[in-house]
Amino acid sequence: MGAVNPQVRLGGQEKEEGLRKAFDGGGGKKPPAETTNAWVASEGRGNETTDMALFVRTSSETLSDWNRQRIVDALLRETTIDRDTAERISREVEEQIITSKISLVTAPLVRELVDVKLIEYGLEEARKMHTRLGVPLYDVDQLILHPNRENANVPHGPEATNLTLAERIKKEYALLNVFSQEIGDAHMRGDIHLHDLGFIDRPYCSGQSLEYIKKFGLNLPNSLSMAKPAKHPEVLLAHMVKFAAALQSNFAGAIGWDAVNLFFAPYLEGLSDREVHQLAQMLIYEFSQQAVARGGQAIFTDINLYWEVPKHFETVMAIGPGGEFTGKTYAEYASQAQRFVWALFDVYRDGDAVGRPFFFPKPLVHITEKFFQTPGHMDFLLHICNVAAEKGNTYFVFDRGNTAKVSECCRLSFKLEQSDLEDARYPWRMRYCALQNVTLNLPRIAYQCAGEDTKLFAKISESFNKAVRAHLEKKVFLERLLSLGENGPLALLTMNKDGMPYLRMHRVTNLIGMVGLNEMIQVHLGQQLHESDAALKFGLKVIAYMKLLADKMSQKHNMRFVLEQTPAESTAYRFAKLDLRDFSPRSGYIVKGDISRGEVYYSNSTYLNAGSVLNPIDRVRKEGLFHPLIEAGALTHIWLGEARPSQESLANFVIKVFRHSQNDQIAFSPEFTTCTDCGRTARGLNDKCFYCGSTQIEGITRITGYFTKISSWNKGKLGELRDRFRNQKYFSESDHRESRPEKEGR
Amino acid sequence: MTLFTKEGCEKCEYVKKSADLKKLGITVEVLSPDNPDSLAHLAWHELVSLAETQLPILVLDDSSSITGAIRIKNYLAAISHQPSAISHQHHR
Repeated sequence: MGAVNPQVRLGGQEKEEGLRKAFDGGGGKKPPAETTNAWVASEGRGNETTDMALFVRTSSETLSDWNRQRIVDALLRETTIDRDTAERISREVEEQIITSKISLVTAPLVRELVDVKLIEYGLEEARKMHTRLGVPLYDVDQLILHPNRENANVPHGPEATNLTLAERIKKEYALLNVFSQEIGDAHMRGDIHLHDLGFIDRPYCSGQSLEYIKKFGLNLPNSLSMAKPAKHPEVLLAHMVKFAAALQSNFAGAIGWDAVNLFFAPYLEGLSDREVHQLAQMLIYEFSQQAVARGGQAIFTDINLYWEVPKHFETVMAIGPGGEFTGKTYAEYASQAQRFVWALFDVYRDGDAVGRPFFFPKPLVHITEKFFQTPGHMDFLLHICNVAAEKGNTYFVFDRGNTAKVSECCRLSFKLEQSDLEDARYPWRMRYCALQNVTLNLPRIAYQCAGEDTKLFAKISESFNKAVRAHLEKKVFLERLLSLGENGPLALLTMNKDGMPYLRMHRVTNLIGMVGLNEMIQVHLGQQLHESDAALKFGLKVIAYMKLLADKMSQKHNMRFVLEQTPAESTAYRFAKLDLRDFSPRSGYIVKGDISRGEVYYSNSTYLNAGSVLNPIDRVRKEGLFHPLIEAGALTHIWLGEARPSQESLANFVIKVFRHSQNDQIAFSPEFTTCTDCGRTARGLNDKCFYCGSTQIEGITRITGYFTKISSWNKGKLGELRDRFRNQKYFSESDHRESRPEKEGR
Repeated sequence: MTLFTKEGCEKCEYVKKSADLKKLGITVEVLSPDNPDSLAHLAWHELVSLAETQLPILVLDDSSSITGAIRIKNYLAAISHQPSAISHQHHR
């Protein structure tokens, strides 16, 4: 605790003498050399973490003399109580320690005793200010021994343990010190979910432009050396990977890159196809194997890819080797960009060394009107559909009409506005960020409304306002960190190489997500979304209501509040568990999954029931009805199971979705079993290896917006996996029905 | 049939004045910040994106739609006189 006595180990007679001696010494004794730093810190000479760390280390690693004054100092420094009260509390705690004959006095224990006194005196606010953040010994033991399944992208290991422990402390800090009690309590109860609390001191997700490092090189605050703009494609790739790692340290979530194949194109002139393939392979392996940075996590990377040159980049002057303008526009690099994107999908199709799908980087291919006007599009569509069928990697992002966006994360997207399209002339400016994500527990609202519409919408509004308040509170905190500039913790986001901070606060979005619309409607109307038009229409009304609330709040606070389909990898599980506890027995009939196994969940965001038997075209169309209302990104999954549809069948499907639905994005998800004994990978989720019969196997499929090993999934997602309706029959039949894709230009 | 309009939209007013909508059995929906029902209805017809750039929109009983004030006006004039002999440009 702050400046309170570090640690006093005493036993028997020695203990009594020691304590007496310590008390006699009062505050006048000269501290041992190592504790001097702590005293310096407590005297307010510096607030740097370094000083505090020295103090803490001293607290935990040396035996130091008792000094009651340190309790007083800490109380005066950390709370607003008066000196007399602080003195009184310190004396009472001292007395308690003497009389209790405790054999081991630690700084945390002293702080706890002081906190009890503060409660006894009714000083609740002071107790909060004086709270010690920490983790119980038992929990640390469990964390070190067992994997954490909150995020399937975190492997188990010492780095992951460090990450989890740091996250625990920061979560507590966030709930006590960043968010108000009302918001913190709403999160704890499960009314709302504040995402990435463990990363409270950074923004959520971001969209990047390669043009920034192409133009300015790799020149980051606090880096040991500076690199000029890359002259060679391999160097550009190295810069991209390192910059991504640096960004991962400054954002909680995904790092998306816009138009990667196009922006690499000026570096590819003169390269043979073999060299381009090699570069594509390097790019995918670099991001796929980069599981050595934060907490052993792979960098959650998305690469946005285009077959055509997007309209807004057609006339933009291209940046080439050395950060120089090449004198050509990006439209003139179309063939190089196409060569690269083709090669990337060749690599995805082959998979890793043993044929498994790459988990990262996620390839997001934009399907636009111009795509269908660009020569070769049908061959390319078949190519990426082949990858989708074989490995599942391809995400199909639909930009209809004049829509343009940068996509990333599990489904997040930044819809480009007119000002962004103007920024495209200076593409290095095109960097976007979602500052925070807050999700509403929709079924919980319905449990409390007894089928009354008026109550339901009032409650949605109440919950929504809490989410808005959470955003405001986090924004204030981040702005405080950003205001510290290059000496602050977010120095990278304040670097100013193009006349504006890297993080452009005027362009950030604030995400409001939802979980369990399907179950909300089930509670409220007695039918799930897929069971009747009335249920689906009412679901649309709920989301329309939320969309209008977001617009109103945006105007009111001059911020951009937008709806997003929360990926909800763990939130759908958490909400279901909390509602089983708080709204039983009703919730027991509503939550999905298997209660007896503890594998419970709510349907993600606006999804229809994952287990409902629906033609995939119907699912895509019905789920797509919601997508235009959800500006910041939506996705429909098509679970393939063991099916291996033909590329023609998937291409037809993709074209139909583009032409005849409003769906924003789709992904086809096959399942795999990989053998850790023989190293081979087979289709489907099997009990043993298809090739060698070993039971040392790993299942692999898409969890929410990315592929990962099933062994790392939380219970809720396992429950969903069991329920998922696989569209095997549809695709095997459609392969017979539609053996030929639509022709180009149709 | 439903005519989607919004407040302050001159073209919408023009269409509304061009025919007796009530007599033709047309419901008018006004998109506004306080009207989630209309927005939801628009979403049901998959017209949210279209409505961002084009209003009014007339949705016919077969769920096809017509945009453009003149086209809608002509359509309404036609069905006022010869409801069975209509030729119009549908969106689907």
